[in-house]
Amino acid sequence: MAPKKAQSHTAPSAQSASSTPAKSSSKSSGNALDAQEIVLGVWNKYVEKTPQRVKLLDCFMLFLAVVGALQFLYCIIVGNFPFNAFLAGFSACVGQFVLTASLRIQTNPENKKEFETTSPERAFADYVFGSFLLHFFCVNFIN
Amino acid sequence: MRGLFSVLLLALVSAVSAVSSTGGRLLVVLEEHSEREKYGVFFGDLEARGFHLTIESPKSESLSLFKHGERAYDHTILLPGKSKGLGPALTANTLLDFMKKEGNILIALSSDHAIPTSIHSTLLELDIHIPSDKGALVVDHFNHDSNKAAEKHDVLLLPFPQALKPNVKNYFAGEGLIAVPQAVGQTLGNESPLLAPILRAPNTAYSYNPKDEADIVEDPFAVGSQLNLVSAMQAHNSARLTVVGSAEMLQNAWFAEKATLAGKAVKTANRDFAARLTEWTFKETGVVKVGKLIHYQDEGVSKKMNTSLAIPEHNPTIYRIKSDVNFQIEISEYSQDRLAPFLPAPGDHVQLEFSMLSPFHRLNLSPISQTANSTIFGVSFKTPDQHGIFNFRVNYRRPFLTSIEEKRQVTVRHFAHDEWPRSWQISGAWVWIGGIWVTVAGFVAFVAVWLYSAPTEKSVKKTQ
Amino acid sequence: MAAPASDTLLQQFTGRKTRGVLRFVILGLIAGAAVSSRLFSVIRFESIIHEFDPWFNFRATKYLVQNGFYSFWDWFDDRTWHPLGRVTGGTLYPGLMVTSGVIYHALRALTLPVDIRNICVLLAPGFSGLTAFATYLLTSEMVASPSAGLLAAAFMGITPGYISRSVAGSYDNEAIAIFLLVFTFFLWIKAVKNGSMFWGALTALFYGYMVSAWGGYVFITNLLPLHAFVLICMGRYSPRLYVSYTSWYALGTLASMQIPFVGFLPIRSSEHMSSLGVFGLIQIVGFVEYVRVQLPNKQFQTLLRALVFVIFVVAFGGLVVLTVSGTIAPWSGRFYSLWDTAYAKIHIPIIASVSEHQPTAWPAFFFDLSMMIWLFPAGVYMCFRSLTDEQVFIVIYSVLASYFAGVMVRLMLTLTPIVCVASAMAFSQILDTYLDAKIPEQGAKENGSSDPAKVAAAVLPDGLRSTRNPLVGIYSYASRLTVIGASTVYLMLFVLHCTWVTSNAYSSPSVVLASRLPDGSQHIIDDYREAYYWLRQNTPDNAKVMSWWDYGYQIGGMADRPTLVDNNTWNNTHIATVGKAMSSREEVSYPIMRQHEVDYVLVVFGGLLGYSGDDINKFLWMVRIAEGIWPEEVKERNFFTQRGEYRVDEEATPTMKNSLMYKMSYYNYNSLFPAGQATDRVRGVRLPAEGPQLSTIEEAFTSENWIIRIYKVKEPDNFGRDHQSATAFDKGHKKKRASKRKGPRVLRVE
Repeated sequence: MAPKKAQSHTAPSAQSASSTPAKSSSKSSGNALDAQEIVLGVWNKYVEKTPQRVKLLDCFMLFLAVVGALQFLYCIIVGNFPFNAFLAGFSACVGQFVLTASLRIQTNPENKKEFETTSPERAFADYVFGSFLLHFFCVNFIN
Repeated sequence: MRGLFSVLLLALVSAVSAVSSTGGRLLVVLEEHSEREKYGVFFGDLEARGFHLTIESPKSESLSLFKHGERAYDHTILLPGKSKGLGPALTANTLLDFMKKEGNILIALSSDHAIPTSIHSTLLELDIHIPSDKGALVVDHFNHDSNKAAEKHDVLLLPFPQALKPNVKNYFAGEGLIAVPQAVGQTLGNESPLLAPILRAPNTAYSYNPKDEADIVEDPFAVGSQLNLVSAMQAHNSARLTVVGSAEMLQNAWFAEKATLAGKAVKTANRDFAARLTEWTFKETGVVKVGKLIHYQDEGVSKKMNTSLAIPEHNPTIYRIKSDVNFQIEISEYSQDRLAPFLPAPGDHVQLEFSMLSPFHRLNLSPISQTANSTIFGVSFKTPDQHGIFNFRVNYRRPFLTSIEEKRQVTVRHFAHDEWPRSWQISGAWVWIGGIWVTVAGFVAFVAVWLYSAPTEKSVKKTQ
Repeated sequence: MAAPASDTLLQQFTGRKTRGVLRFVILGLIAGAAVSSRLFSVIRFESIIHEFDPWFNFRATKYLVQNGFYSFWDWFDDRTWHPLGRVTGGTLYPGLMVTSGVIYHALRALTLPVDIRNICVLLAPGFSGLTAFATYLLTSEMVASPSAGLLAAAFMGITPGYISRSVAGSYDNEAIAIFLLVFTFFLWIKAVKNGSMFWGALTALFYGYMVSAWGGYVFITNLLPLHAFVLICMGRYSPRLYVSYTSWYALGTLASMQIPFVGFLPIRSSEHMSSLGVFGLIQIVGFVEYVRVQLPNKQFQTLLRALVFVIFVVAFGGLVVLTVSGTIAPWSGRFYSLWDTAYAKIHIPIIASVSEHQPTAWPAFFFDLSMMIWLFPAGVYMCFRSLTDEQVFIVIYSVLASYFAGVMVRLMLTLTPIVCVASAMAFSQILDTYLDAKIPEQGAKENGSSDPAKVAAAVLPDGLRSTRNPLVGIYSYASRLTVIGASTVYLMLFVLHCTWVTSNAYSSPSVVLASRLPDGSQHIIDDYREAYYWLRQNTPDNAKVMSWWDYGYQIGGMADRPTLVDNNTWNNTHIATVGKAMSSREEVSYPIMRQHEVDYVLVVFGGLLGYSGDDINKFLWMVRIAEGIWPEEVKERNFFTQRGEYRVDEEATPTMKNSLMYKMSYYNYNSLFPAGQATDRVRGVRLPAEGPQLSTIEEAFTSENWIIRIYKVKEPDNFGRDHQSATAFDKGHKKKRASKRKGPRVLRVE
């Protein structure tokens, strides 16, 4: 389960996308005001510099993370009675999340050099293909 | 089936109503033809009941229990004779083979005559013991006929036997007293459930050898009700063997005699008892037959859609775990001349086992309806939560009744993949279903927005 | 075999297109060679299913073809494991049957009605052709030179290590699984190289297919995460790895869970935890990497390493805790025996009793891989020289597979592909070096076509050689000729060896035995089928046959009779029950057989023919397995003489002589020989003058060479006697009259 938790840890990453706050706040823990400034700064930088599509991706990932976290919480509190249903529901979220993350990596202009062969259109097509597979498996698995 | 056929056939051939359920060919082994008259009434009664008697001497060349490997007779009566051997046609092995082929044997012994070795070893093989000394007989100083055996006390006068156990049917009931003269007593082995006493000696009786007075004091053969005057053995295939301790009791001389018991004048009822005895031995009574046996899945009310049309399939070979099953068995009893509805003795039940290695269910079958000549027993139950190869098993063995051993193999399978509740039928799964569809919806919305936002993305790129 | 060499030779005359066509033709020829070398068994014997497990697969396939997929899925098999039955649909890997079912229906749709048996017989050779192709693809991903790919394909096509499991008729899961294994690896390499979700998803799809086909999928489940893990540890994390791994894992795990037999295992069992752990790890690494990009910092590196380490420890600890607490299923016994070869022998005799699970004897490596065994390290070494992502994969694969192949004979199969790939790489390097020197511009052209990373790898050795070759001048021609000649000889020898091994060692159906008559002609010993067909023709349809589990599938397949235990050894207790019945006295065995409704008992006896794989030789396993459940009633020690020998002759222990197995094997065997001359030709001993007597069972059938003996279990005695006294009575021994009773009289109570 540990990796799962790690998974839900990643959730804030999307939220605080560039995520300097965590870093800087840990370094200068004493100065709250300073930290706030840095957070604000990073946030502004993020809002300005990130392409809109990446922002969109981040929104979607945030959404998925929230849904996934909710399901996981529910599972912990109420129990995982139809285990296959829980697995299907949760892994649909996780799967969609990693696929979206992959798409984000591939389409992010910053990673252009890594993916010379993959155009954003191709990446998107791959993404849709993968997602359809995922949805098919999940719906089939939940019966 | 063969029994039923022969019943029909014989019913047509002879006007006589009563006949055995297995056939009427009866062999009587009697050494001396002259003695035939002594058993005249007994034979007459048998013939009147539809038996075809063949009386042969054990020395006869043509005597054979088998013909072409099949039984030549349906029943055999062995009456005592002078000689010590019964000849090659009636060895212990042939007698047992005869019984293996469902032939019935009535053996009559007499303390006056030597007991042939083949009978000795046959009885020994069946765990019925008789005194090894010649001339040993049963005496009783309290229940004897003071008329004929005032001195020797060796003619016992006994009432008809009671039921062996409270919940066992009694096929030997009657009115009056039975005279048992010069009987050879038998004891039964303790192990075999196939043996049953028909007529037990009274508590005051004992086996006694006139030639060896000392023996009785030290080590009597048997005393009291351990001593049987008439005993029965019914093999697994329901072949019957009856040992009558006293051949004399079947003779005319004792069929309706006047006797005196403790000063009172009574009349012997040996004729009745002999009839009961032969009826049972030759399968005119105590024969149960299984008719139709059905089991089917109880569809219940859950499948309302097609119940009006669908008749449940009878005797399917496969069931599912935790499904409702109905089981019905039709049992009739042959009494004298016809099949009648069978009902177990009070306090007794026919039971159904649903077993795999060991019974998962053992249920009393209750009579649910009756036809003209059978009772239909039935029970319904739920198959256990265990898949495997199961048997519907009715194993009904009671003293004096032919055994019922019915086994129907069925397979109990697991839930098929489409028999589990669907996810939306389980309320607990709604959350997760919601999770999936929210994800999918989010995905669709995202794709839509993504495609919609394509141009703006380019412009963003350009601005960068 | 010389095809790749000629391919390189011809390159000078042809353009790219022609080479493509040529390559295609060569691959076709390789596939043809692969298929045809597997047909020895059909030619020598006939088109028949081999051995044991394939008979079950065949029977299952017939069921699938007759009843359709859904009823196959829900199949409850009431003809095995009597009376427990087997939820077959949920306890098998359906990939193989479904594949042949699809082929069957496809052919019928094309109006080519082919008997399902022939499809099953020829499936493995057919797929071996595909495996050769997949090996070509995989190798081509590894190195630039296409000749390596073709060599690897050729190696894969004819190597005995793979042929051993894929001759015509050996219709087993491995038949398609090896193809899937290689192809999945190819897709994975492709995915890692491109960092593409598409290839990742395809990997997952084929992984799912593999899961549906063979239990060995666990190898992939562990190898891919290990590859990813090693790459991360080497500091080679890249977004490509993230994309390919996560998309493979997310989809592949879900795909594997669709198979009913696998079910929740990917979440529950320890074998699958590594992939889950790496999945979590890669998320963290991906996140951290992302952060690092945003905020370049020197301190960050150390922080990152610490973080990775801490998380690894936490995850591993969590895994241990969960395993101990029982949330995650502990490792299965078969898996333990992978780490400790002695484990199975001590704890699970049933696993140890399977010859496939024995550790490999070292000659087997040479036998199965021949010259590749020394080319293989060279290939691996070459990978070390230019360590790209995919070559790391080769290194890991070869290390892991070598270990496993050493532990378990069966896993030689997983080693074979990588050996082929690595040795083909080494061999093609030799050939390329010595052939390409003739035409330097060819080499340049070829290098130009591959990606830059490869050029660096390939140029380095070539450069060294090319600087040397012109210097040496005239000698180079001779040395080239020598080396090429030697290589050609090696290749020829390899082909000869492979053909010889295939035709002699791996083409026996083991259902039909062959022997040589003194005049050299072949004599077919067909006792198995004779006996199984006897059962089929002469016994009621649901007569239950008890035999040792080895023959369960064959009885089910050929005799079509229910069996008590079979080669799917899922229920140890049930097998132990059979073992107990076989190793106990008749009086003990009879109630067991009655309870299980056994009608016939079948034993395999090789004493007359000298056939050593018989039941007396397997007997100790039965005893051991039975002892595992009933240590009080069955004791292995009692089957050995005072001096610890396992004997069947005069000196055999009473326990041995009274065991049902011994009695059934040697019953009436004396009558074949003059008095006192009975000899067991397997054990090479003379048997006691008086043979064993049977009372509760009677001989029903003995095959021509006495290999199979079938006994019928008697009904209970009609008169309630025990069988011993009944038999004695029938033989004419009359009971003694109870003379004087001893002790108190036992009274009868009604």
